[in-house]
Amino acid sequence: MTSSTQAPSPVASPRLAVEARHLVKRYGDLEVLRDVSLEVPEGSVTSIIGASGSGKSTLLRCLNLLERPDQGDLAIADEAIRFDRNPQGDIVGLDRRQLQRLRAKVSMVFQQFNLWPHFTVLGNVTEAPMRVQGLSRRRAIERAEHYLERVGLADKRDGYPAYLSGGQQQRVAIARALAMEPRLLLFDEPTSALDPERVSEVLGVIRDLAAEGRTMVLVTHEMAFAREVSDQVVFLDRGFVGEAGSPRQVFEESQDPRCRRFVAPAA
Amino acid sequence: MNKVSQEGLLDWAGPILQGALTTLEIAVLAYAIGLLLGLVGASARLSPWGPLRGLATVYSTAVRAVPELLLIILLYYAGSQALTALTNALGLPGQVAINGFVTAVGVLAFVQGAYMTEVLRGAILAIPRGQLEAADAFGFSAWTRFHRIVIPAMLPNALPGMSNLWLILIKDTALISVIGFSELFFTVQQAAASTRAHFLFYAAAGVIYLAMTLTSTALFTRLERRVRRGQPLREEV
Repeated sequence: MTSSTQAPSPVASPRLAVEARHLVKRYGDLEVLRDVSLEVPEGSVTSIIGASGSGKSTLLRCLNLLERPDQGDLAIADEAIRFDRNPQGDIVGLDRRQLQRLRAKVSMVFQQFNLWPHFTVLGNVTEAPMRVQGLSRRRAIERAEHYLERVGLADKRDGYPAYLSGGQQQRVAIARALAMEPRLLLFDEPTSALDPERVSEVLGVIRDLAAEGRTMVLVTHEMAFAREVSDQVVFLDRGFVGEAGSPRQVFEESQDPRCRRFVAPAA
Repeated sequence: MNKVSQEGLLDWAGPILQGALTTLEIAVLAYAIGLLLGLVGASARLSPWGPLRGLATVYSTAVRAVPELLLIILLYYAGSQALTALTNALGLPGQVAINGFVTAVGVLAFVQGAYMTEVLRGAILAIPRGQLEAADAFGFSAWTRFHRIVIPAMLPNALPGMSNLWLILIKDTALISVIGFSELFFTVQQAAASTRAHFLFYAAAGVIYLAMTLTSTALFTRLERRVRRGQPLREEV
């Protein structure tokens, strides 16, 4: 039996873009997130760091529900997610309409870019605003041109993604995410698939966005970058939050031995 | 020279061209309907809902397992028997005859749909997962995702198989001649029998089928180039 219950309102404060409480995510017997809570204030940059397999991408993907947590409460952009739960409180379903509405406010940039190869660069950036937000073609194109300009690719608008370098593709993907004018931007290891000489052009764009005061959550292996742009750093360790706080607290003052060892090369 | 052989190719040109046109009409309609059935079938085969998946699997497996000739005859004769029984039971006397054109289109579309289901299923499975995930992440509805992302992304994978099915379909229309419907093959059979110029007429039919298939192959090649326009040509392996 399943019953549709309102999540026991995780006190949705208007100043938080993300409020996650006690998230648990399992794949079969493997518990990837064991108990993770996270608060992301509006206008702040949060980096999630941790070893491979620590659950950081899973956590990020829970924030737009590409992964459905098995337990816990989640509020995104002032809206508590209505999960369907069984009597034991395990999450068994979602409200699809709420999900679509929510995802229109949260944009994601993927490690592998995930551009749509059958659309031009411009088409990639106009597609979601037109189809999801209902913008007219003209307004969507204006917006797309604006954001392509921002990432320095205005001249590539009529090309196809496959003809661009990795760094250019990722910048198109960032323009695509920005064109939704989202409340929250998620970056899932945005530079991990890039050639080393292409990393800086993408980090440069992200740095500018951080400086603008956009709300962002970033999963990254670029320690120096995380330290530089973040207001908050979360060190995930085997499905738990090992350490969380300001970059200084995590990179220099952590009492957690595993965290100290992990950040040592960057400290 | 006996009397029948005095008719030549020219006397039969009109009926044969008419038959060729009918063949094309049957093939185009059956293909269009088969394509729709295939889209529905492939979506059902990939559905998370078990019963739907089961139904689609039975359809594509059973239809592909039975000779098309048998299906044509079955639907034509058994179908008209069943309809006759039904109308008689409703108090309407007489025989119901199924229209040959409708049978032809119906059976061939039904068979096409089964093969198309498998071609499209494979093509959809070959879409890189991330492209669909991106559509989900941006809040696309199921329908928007299907017609804006899934269909254009799977077409490059599906077109070679789809073009194959079209060629087979054109040739399969000849099977319809067994129910006495005058498409190209049936007309040519009649012409050959009445003139005894067997080689001439069957060769003419071969040329017409060849013209149809070559033209459509060229069209499919152009279509494939178009749906692949975003992909650089692959280096030869």
